[in-house]
Amino acid sequence: MSPAPSFLQQRLPLADLLDLSSFSEVCQSFAELYRVGLKVFDESGNKLVDVKVGNADFCGYIWSKAAGREQCVATVGLVKSAPVDEVPKPTAFQCFSGCRYVVQPVLHEGDAIGRVVFGPFVPDDLKELPASLTGIAADFDTTRASAYLQKIRRVPQETAERILKHFLDLLDVLVFTGHKSVIAARLHIEAVQESYGELQEKNRLLEEGFQKLKELDRLKSNFIATMSHELRTPLTSVIGYSEMMLEGLGGTLSEEQREYLGIIMEKGESLLHLITSILDVSKIEAGRVRLVLGDVDVGQLLRDAAATVLPAARKKKLQVTCEPGTLPRLHADREKLRQCLINLASNAVKFTGAGGAVTMAAEVLPGERLALKISDTGIGIPPEHHSRIFDVFFQVDGSTTREYGGSGLGLAIVKSFVEAHGGEVKVASTPGQGSTFSMILPIRPGPEPEATPSLPLHLVDQA
Amino acid sequence: MVQINTEARELAIKIVYYGPALSGKTTNLQALYQKISPEVRGRLMTLDTKDDRTLFFDMMPVFFKTEAGVKVKLRLYTVPGQVIHESTRRIVLQGTDAVIFVADSRRSEAAATFAYWNNMLKNLEANGLDYRTLPIVIQLNKRDLPDARSEDELADLRKVIRPTMVPAVAVRGEGVAETLWAMLSLTYRSLDRTMRLGERWKMSEREFLDRVFAHVDLKGTLLQGEGTPK
Repeated sequence: MSPAPSFLQQRLPLADLLDLSSFSEVCQSFAELYRVGLKVFDESGNKLVDVKVGNADFCGYIWSKAAGREQCVATVGLVKSAPVDEVPKPTAFQCFSGCRYVVQPVLHEGDAIGRVVFGPFVPDDLKELPASLTGIAADFDTTRASAYLQKIRRVPQETAERILKHFLDLLDVLVFTGHKSVIAARLHIEAVQESYGELQEKNRLLEEGFQKLKELDRLKSNFIATMSHELRTPLTSVIGYSEMMLEGLGGTLSEEQREYLGIIMEKGESLLHLITSILDVSKIEAGRVRLVLGDVDVGQLLRDAAATVLPAARKKKLQVTCEPGTLPRLHADREKLRQCLINLASNAVKFTGAGGAVTMAAEVLPGERLALKISDTGIGIPPEHHSRIFDVFFQVDGSTTREYGGSGLGLAIVKSFVEAHGGEVKVASTPGQGSTFSMILPIRPGPEPEATPSLPLHLVDQA
Repeated sequence: MVQINTEARELAIKIVYYGPALSGKTTNLQALYQKISPEVRGRLMTLDTKDDRTLFFDMMPVFFKTEAGVKVKLRLYTVPGQVIHESTRRIVLQGTDAVIFVADSRRSEAAATFAYWNNMLKNLEANGLDYRTLPIVIQLNKRDLPDARSEDELADLRKVIRPTMVPAVAVRGEGVAETLWAMLSLTYRSLDRTMRLGERWKMSEREFLDRVFAHVDLKGTLLQGEGTPK
């Protein structure tokens, strides 16, 4: 089935091609200029324009006689719809009153789409009123009719035809221009519709793709959450049994065995930490993390974090300073904050070379806010990476031969947790000189937890 | 799809000039406008809205009445060649009865021309038209340019391409009438097959062509007085 034919193939009626009110004005002034009446009909015989000049009294008088009326109607019917050749030439119609009309079809692209009737005018060869008129009534007043006839323009038929041709030339231009406008407008609409259809289709495909990605992302998060859990369970046993053996529960151990077990435990712990991070991220992604708010002693939290990283710092001969001072108690999720501080402190230790320093401090800011700051004298972060270091899995050195290990999840978790408290994380860093990470938290968050933590990952649907 | 008005005994046939930008489609129509006498053609309408480039095409009507009183209206359209006018191209191509593909015969334009040919096939298909049955004439325009393919190359091309090929230099009006003649001849045969123009509408191919070409200035063309090739 082929599509419906475009409007380009359709035939347009004359009235659609002209602005009828302004066209009427043109006809009016034209008719008045030449002092001859003018009528324009469309293809179906509908009268579009009718200008009468000079013939009102004459025709009105004839109209007052019954026989005159009858013949008048017949003449008008004739000029309006008697067939004329579809050629650009005028046809003359004689009125019984002695007057005359010239009629010519309006041709457009080979079609007659209407006709123009020019008249009535008095042909210059009319000497006296014809018998066909004077005989319509016994009381016909010839003198009066002759006087009325004077008001109608007397013109040779040839001149009338020239005037008519001139009018049709004008009309031709109007029709052509009108046709062009109509086509431009309709084509515009069709083109817009086409483009709209194309856009709709593209939107549909995008929406489909987006839904698929969302579903895949959800599946991935579920998978990771489940897998992390399944990995953690046996690992806990590995660590637990190693610990039991170290404590001598399985019998006395040689120094070498103790050392090996120590390594198993240490690596087990770091693996557990990694898995826990992955689990955290997947929970955040799946929107399954809830804050458990309570009163938190921030100073204690800072000291705990410092103590946690102290063994690693000592190994690298780093100086760790923790001077929290007197701080207000914070209404927050203690466990999440502890994890954030440990993540930041571990990073500080990791990225600082031997002999450097790590400082942990806190400061009350205006607006009921508290800043927890962890500074180091490490390698620093180039400014172009500041905006991306909080992205999941992002690492400044992502190569396989990189010097510093890690999953790329720590900072993402910190950011999510801090933002969930209604706070923000800031970084200031100079490459080669060190970095300072600040967690700025409201001392009293709103009555409700600000939000479920979310990750700065674009595919995660945060709705 | 030819439009038939049985009651009014009218046939409206749509012919589209298709081809890459600047290949000479509008030039073809302008040359025909000069050559065809006003008795059988209307004004050349050029739609070129400067600020809105989605609207751009030309249209010229050609019309005649046969001995048997059938009115035939041929509408010649050009499509916009620029790539951005894809949707207008598709609209203009809608329901066409025949296509004249105006190709630039320079070797340097071969790739662009071929891409447009494929674009046309795609748009024909989108309009439900079958290029295997649709009358198509290829006009190899710009034969006067230095880089144009040689006659030998054209002869080789003719062996592998089904559509009729007509050489032309549209800016000088050469080959323009010949292209239209080849097109109308093909169109008549196609319509005669589907609508029995001869039998049902009492219109021979000869008359179909003569009604137009009797009013075409054939000076300098390869066509003779009544429009048959010399």
